[in-house]
Amino acid sequence: MSTTGYDATGVTLKATAYGVVAFLVLANLVPFLFILSVSFMPPSEFFTDPHLVPYEPTLEAWTSGFEELRGNLVNSFLIGAGTALLALAITIPGAYAFARKEFYGKTAGFYAIISAMMFPYILLVIPIMDLWTALGVYNTIFGMILAYQVFVTPFSIWILRDFFENLPTDIEEAAQVYGCTQFTAFVRVILPLAAPGIVAVGFLAFLTGWNDFLFANLLTTGTGPVPAVPVLYGTIGGGSGERVYWGKLMAETLIIGTPPTIIYLVARNYLESAFSV
Amino acid sequence: MSTRRLFDIDGRTERYRSVLRENWFTYLLIMPVLLFLIVLMWLPFLQGIYMSFNEWPFGGDPTWIGAANYEFLLNWEPFYTSLKATAIFSLTTVFQLGVALAAALAVRELRRGKSFVSAAFLLSYTMPPLVIGTIWAYLLEPDFGPVFGYLTELNVLGETIYWGSSGPMSLAVVMFVTTWTFWPFMFLIISASLESIPEELYESARMYGAGPIQTFLRVTLPQLKSAILVALSIRIIWNMTKISQVLQLTNGGPGYDTSILAVLLYQFAYERGQMGVSYAIGIVLLVMTLGFVFVFIREFERASEGAGA
Repeated sequence: MSTTGYDATGVTLKATAYGVVAFLVLANLVPFLFILSVSFMPPSEFFTDPHLVPYEPTLEAWTSGFEELRGNLVNSFLIGAGTALLALAITIPGAYAFARKEFYGKTAGFYAIISAMMFPYILLVIPIMDLWTALGVYNTIFGMILAYQVFVTPFSIWILRDFFENLPTDIEEAAQVYGCTQFTAFVRVILPLAAPGIVAVGFLAFLTGWNDFLFANLLTTGTGPVPAVPVLYGTIGGGSGERVYWGKLMAETLIIGTPPTIIYLVARNYLESAFSV
Repeated sequence: MSTRRLFDIDGRTERYRSVLRENWFTYLLIMPVLLFLIVLMWLPFLQGIYMSFNEWPFGGDPTWIGAANYEFLLNWEPFYTSLKATAIFSLTTVFQLGVALAAALAVRELRRGKSFVSAAFLLSYTMPPLVIGTIWAYLLEPDFGPVFGYLTELNVLGETIYWGSSGPMSLAVVMFVTTWTFWPFMFLIISASLESIPEELYESARMYGAGPIQTFLRVTLPQLKSAILVALSIRIIWNMTKISQVLQLTNGGPGYDTSILAVLLYQFAYERGQMGVSYAIGIVLLVMTLGFVFVFIREFERASEGAGA
């Protein structure tokens, strides 16, 4: 008690900090509470006075929403998983080389790759639509997986390079002394040690494939493997006055939004260490 | 003179050859990434530049028309509306920085619950942006969305606001939703950098009698500078090119008031099928973002040097 007057600025600072945190946590969670609530409401309830707890909760929105999205969710999953696997296959060797080898053109090559992160991807969509049609991968899952590599490879190289770089320098040589070849040393020593980075990159790549709207919408048509996200687009009707079944729509947003969130919660320790610039 | 040059070329090819011979395995390792980026990025990009000088209907044959696409844009009134909207919209990056900085500094003060708090913060960023856009389209729906529902019921507002019919208000809504969605990205980068500031710096600041504000300005902010600039330059480009939320919330309207350049590009490609004009818009967008790329690379370099030292 006697310390209250002792460090007034410190106390104010703490109070402000807790206030900011509380406000932001509420600002992030309360909207989702409302969405959760409306997804259990029958259609008649949306148009009454606003209330948080549904009067007559129903699962109807969830079941019909899930029914509608099932095929698309499978597509999203395949695209996400494929994006992650292909990204790891092409970036692990590259990142390893940038981290552990000295060679002519190293810095320039690294920045040529990293700066691709800053490229406004929307500029690529149009030529890629054209190119993919010519190559026959337009409107296929493989075409989507391929296209997402543009987003994914730059940050994969960046994250993985840092992981490989931070491993002890003479570890491969030590392994070679014990009879490993350069390749087995890489597979049995380096790869397991870099596992956190590899997991982080895999998850981020999966999220990219799952969350994207732009390529998903432009590289598929209604007859093809449409992933889940573009299904939401246009449902509101851009103010056309058409009646929207908000309950179902909100259930669908949660159905699509939950897998990335779960993945994030599972992988967050890896991801946070990957983000330390 | 000529023999010397010949000799030089010989020497140089010899050097290249030996570099290749010694490092062929390394070059093989980076080949896949380079190949992918060339095929997926640089080739389409070059084709796109060529496209912007053509009349290019989707799936059809191009006709060379020189700079006519650019001339069309410069003489087209909505293009300027779009430029203005883009400039205003890009301020969302500054708001994101403000929220992220406040959040990172506040979380640092927490004794416990850090993990729960940052998980809660990240929720909006992990979900697909279009999902978040759809959620806010409901929450902010004027007739039966909860936000205006409560505001009118509690008599804060006399009646609901049909923001969709007002340009400035639509832009404000779009900026609000974008800020709400993406600030956690900056939070991640800034708090990671905040954690790495050595405690000694704070101790010596305290020893010299610096107050909290001085400590922030003289110690924290300079140490965060690189992280902030990296985050800012990435986000400013990504914000300008993410269109799903704008499309879902306002579809670029009313009129062209929220049609930022990226939305305009999308509309020309997808709704009108004029790929040439669309790409010309893309080039304008690229030029606007180019400066930030250099800031990014410089600061990235600086940040990694700092980490290595």
